[in-house]
Amino acid sequence: MTPGKKRLNYSYYPGCSLHASGREYDISTRALFKALNVGLKEVPDWFCCGATPAHNVDELLSLSLCAKNLSLAEQVEGDLAVACAACFSRLKTTQHHLKEDEEKRKQVETAIAGPAALDKPVKHILEILAREFGLSKLEESVKKPLLGLKVASYYGCLLTRPPEVPELDDCEDPSIMEDILRALGAEPVKWSHRMECCGANFTLSRPGVVLKLSNAILESARLAGADCIMVACPLCHGNLDIRQKEIKDAYGAPDSTLFGNIFGSELQQGAPKDQRDLPVFYITQLAALAMGVPSGNLGFESVITDPKPLLREKQLL
Amino acid sequence: MKNKLMHLSNETMNVGFVKKVEALSGSSVRRCFQCGKCSAGCPMSAFMEHPPNRIVRLLQLGQGQRVLAGRSIWYCASCETCTTRCPNKVDLAGIMDALRKLSWDADGPSKESYVQLANRLFIENIRTYGRQYELRLGAAFNMKSGQFLKDLMLGPKLISKGKLKMFHSKNKNIGEIEAIFKRIEEMRKKGEAL
Ligand code: SF4
Ligand code: SF4
Repeated sequence: MTPGKKRLNYSYYPGCSLHASGREYDISTRALFKALNVGLKEVPDWFCCGATPAHNVDELLSLSLCAKNLSLAEQVEGDLAVACAACFSRLKTTQHHLKEDEEKRKQVETAIAGPAALDKPVKHILEILAREFGLSKLEESVKKPLLGLKVASYYGCLLTRPPEVPELDDCEDPSIMEDILRALGAEPVKWSHRMECCGANFTLSRPGVVLKLSNAILESARLAGADCIMVACPLCHGNLDIRQKEIKDAYGAPDSTLFGNIFGSELQQGAPKDQRDLPVFYITQLAALAMGVPSGNLGFESVITDPKPLLREKQLL
Repeated sequence: MKNKLMHLSNETMNVGFVKKVEALSGSSVRRCFQCGKCSAGCPMSAFMEHPPNRIVRLLQLGQGQRVLAGRSIWYCASCETCTTRCPNKVDLAGIMDALRKLSWDADGPSKESYVQLANRLFIENIRTYGRQYELRLGAAFNMKSGQFLKDLMLGPKLISKGKLKMFHSKNKNIGEIEAIFKRIEEMRKKGEAL
């Protein structure tokens, strides 16, 4: 830390997933911030932000739940750090809407019986790492560069859309995840599906939709030569990691050994599909690994698609 | 339905419905000039009988019932691609939210009851626990949708990986959440909110 410069400190809204199915995102976020000596203090008694279901059918409820959380966050000093892309989107959307719409703001303030904290800066951990902590400092802090690791950065929907809400990066061609990867010494691959939807919350009601959309994402990452995928959202992680085996079962390799035998390896039009497992990492897991945090502290045991063989192969374990 | 001849008259055009959609979403439907950019980028349009641009067109023609009768609105993933790309600043994702709310309020002529069921359980969980209780969400969904075997193999795996918690503690200030639900219901009863 440069003398005279204040240590960065954030209040922290983990959201429901990070306390359950996305627990490794929470664990690794805390580990990373500790390694970088950046303060992180959880907002006491935060509520569910309502995620997609609440705004899908009741915008006023969704805005009120988020406004309540923003006012709870006021109790803790520092800008509000959010890791989940969906929570981040809902909290920012609430501030954006309520600043623009006086009438809605009044309704929400009646619902939560108090003022909404519209000026509490809400920040996704990507922007905290890349802009506030800073890429060059991040690079300097690396103890174990992720050399030779080819990573497909997956942005998904809500980190950048609609542009006036998250204000995170270009809404059609962002680069913040790739920038961070480069600082960590990894190799970001160029690929086509970094912003295509994974099916998000249809995972409960319409898993078939998730399998179809997520299959296209995994295919595209394999085609680009990625060893793994990096995400910044527990929903994306769930769809791409937890359902990977099901996706393979549903969209597995076409049995084309016949063509392979007849035409030889170069001409295999219907060649067996590349079926490699693609471990799906949270940004914080990769970053913490590069900072020298022991892999045992990053929640890898909770992941379904085992990342350890890949990490061993790249001598990162 | 989509190829049926449509007769437009003052009787068939439900302008009041469209006004409600515009009020709820804060977005005009009249601004749309049917370029189709929203539908071109929509990841879910393949699952919809009316892709996003046609939904706006139907609204322009006062055909709200046609929109609600289909499953399109329940197959929108709220990905915001349409809103981001529309050259006329039509907030289609917001319009989708408004349409779902109106369908929900009418207890849905929608055919997409699984999505509604999942939403309903999710919101119930917030009211009861303050936070999501994913195990209960999954279990309740499977019970109520009659899909007892769905994701059966995934469940134990997720529990053993620590991804689904067996027990859940309520938020300490759960009363405040209940108060928010109550106040919103009150406001709606008094006509102070849509
Ligand atoms: S992108 Fe906008 S203007 Fe174009 S069809 Fe869709 S709603 Fe209409
Ligand atoms: S928000 Fe809905 S309608 Fe718009 S592009 Fe995404 S899935 Fe399609």
